[in-house]
Amino acid sequence: MAQGPRRRWLWWLTPAAAVGLGWLVWTFAGEPQAAPVSAAPPSAGARPAANTSSQQQAAASAAPFSAAGANARQMQLALWQQRLERAQSALDAYRSSTRYPHESRPASEHPDQMQPNQPVAEDHAFRMPGTTGSANGLQLKTTQERVFVQGSESVRFTVSLRDSDGKALPLRIVRAAAREVPPARTASLYPEVPLDFNDEGNAGDAAAADGVYSARLQPATQGFAGLLGQIRVQVFMQYRDLQGFTYFDIVYSGDAPASWQGGPREALEDGSLNFYLKADVREAGRYVVTGRIDDASGKPFALLTFNEEVQAGPQEFKLTLFGKLVRDAKPQFPLTLRDVDGFLLRPDAYPDRKLMPRLPGKLLASKEYPLASFADAEWSSEERDRYLSELSRDVTQAQTRIDQLATGP
Amino acid sequence: MRIQSALKWAALAVAAVAASSYATNYSLWINGRTGGGQLGNYADFTYWGPSSANAGVNKKAVNWDGYNHISDQNYLVRNALDCYCTGNNWCYIAVHSAGDLMIGYTLAMYGSSARYKKTPSPNSSGECTNSDGTTQTGWNIKWVDVAAGAGGGSELSDYGDWAVSEPLVSDLKTSTARAMYDHNNTRGKIFYMYAGAKGTLYSGALPGQDDEAVAYHSSGGVSGSSGGSYCNPSDWFCNDLTLGTGANEGGRAKWSNHSVVFRDDGESYNHYTNGNWGGVVSRVRADMELHAQ
Repeated sequence: MAQGPRRRWLWWLTPAAAVGLGWLVWTFAGEPQAAPVSAAPPSAGARPAANTSSQQQAAASAAPFSAAGANARQMQLALWQQRLERAQSALDAYRSSTRYPHESRPASEHPDQMQPNQPVAEDHAFRMPGTTGSANGLQLKTTQERVFVQGSESVRFTVSLRDSDGKALPLRIVRAAAREVPPARTASLYPEVPLDFNDEGNAGDAAAADGVYSARLQPATQGFAGLLGQIRVQVFMQYRDLQGFTYFDIVYSGDAPASWQGGPREALEDGSLNFYLKADVREAGRYVVTGRIDDASGKPFALLTFNEEVQAGPQEFKLTLFGKLVRDAKPQFPLTLRDVDGFLLRPDAYPDRKLMPRLPGKLLASKEYPLASFADAEWSSEERDRYLSELSRDVTQAQTRIDQLATGP
Repeated sequence: MRIQSALKWAALAVAAVAASSYATNYSLWINGRTGGGQLGNYADFTYWGPSSANAGVNKKAVNWDGYNHISDQNYLVRNALDCYCTGNNWCYIAVHSAGDLMIGYTLAMYGSSARYKKTPSPNSSGECTNSDGTTQTGWNIKWVDVAAGAGGGSELSDYGDWAVSEPLVSDLKTSTARAMYDHNNTRGKIFYMYAGAKGTLYSGALPGQDDEAVAYHSSGGVSGSSGGSYCNPSDWFCNDLTLGTGANEGGRAKWSNHSVVFRDDGESYNHYTNGNWGGVVSRVRADMELHAQ
């Protein structure tokens, strides 16, 4: 019985709501609310600096046929042409980039992800913190096998001093040690571990007397068993009377949150080639698993990623090689799945991940499939539709504004 | 009088509900190292400069502490993206320095996650309530402007010039920053890179051109597991950082969807905002003013 009068009240409210909505639309659609800081001057390689003065708009509309009005309209036109260019650029990039799903990408787009087990090689000036070290021309070359380390894995570190001609120079390793970097305001429970950086072919050094000083650290057996955290290896060096310093960081997770169960399998499904990897998941959560695909000649072809929430228990991680990617690139079969790594993502924590055991090397060679067995359709999803619709709307709006400005007031 | 008053308030309530379903664009600014703004207060632009500055439509400051690890602080960015970049609402993103690492990490790690659509009315912690209980995949982001991006790390962390006991500094070690996530995975959004070159103090540590905190290899989005030496074309003894998305001189690619739109050939812009939208940030602010509408 009480609903009747309420409905009548709603009819009264309709015009008021329209007025309110109109006011809000007018407010949100207006120019930005704040006074501008003066725009930076242009310099080489730069786009033209922003010039969005609302006075231009005011001049253009207040006296549209005056010289000032025409000038203001031209400036507005130039401004909207820049906006159109940006909107078109965002739309084109998104459309092109999402022909394939984000989880199934050409290797050429991810060149630095295709060799995950290659050491990280860096060049540094030979110096101590707070000193310049630029004048001596000495280069400290370093490598570390990996940054994220799991279970019984070890990491090899190297340092090598070179002169400006690339010639190896003798180093004295003054001190080298590994220690936990505990969270702020927390004492470490792990004692510092000395490391033997040497050039004698021992303890991780690949070749004696080559000027490359090496050490190997296996956290699980060298004092860091049970740690989920950061380990820092500090190296203090000397060359003649010059002191040098460098450090390496690794992030160590001892216990795996899930373990692989058997080898991968493949299945051609819905026009794409799926690779399934079985795992026993002990900790539920968001897992990020990445695999690499080479073509028959060994050339990197695709990067496949899984990034989803997973329940505890027996699971299969699916890596999808998208059909259109195969159709477009026409790789030579068989394809090889190799170098799979994965981790449990720990939101809002450090370390942010617990690693699964790495699966290095070749894991599966696919069957031969005719090209026609792969789908040729672009990726389709609510997410892509949403983006293409919005970004297209921006292009249309900018073009409409340009058309209005070009045809006069 | 009471009826009039009731009508007035009811009309405002209905208009507010209607407005919540109206598409709105926002400009989100994500700070770098040192922070300074109040966490969760999207109106606090302390890190950047006067809040009166024109810095894009409906600007919001996404403050994080600029001290702790990227992963520890990431919830603050996800909260902001949930608030302003879901449902019918869309965002333009501007970042500075380690803010590059922050947004890149967010998109690569959580860009495929299901997000509840929110009503953009945050509480004091910067959290918003669900709008209709439905979810969407990822956030609505049109593009990202990056000033002096530290996504590739900084040698000032490598050498210990910055306090290596600081959690964020260890994230900014070049090898760590580059291994932290797949920088190529922006989920289709373009990162417009603005690289400054007015650096002199650390020229012995930072390779190639730098803005006194990050070198071109990072601010220019150069891919790889380590840094490198990249310069302006006027330097004949160093590979050029090229404009656009193409590979740099010497052949090394940029991260996918990373486009260098500003290279500081005049060596006029350093890293620092100086409390007034200064340094390379001035270029990004101008770009946001122009394009983030």
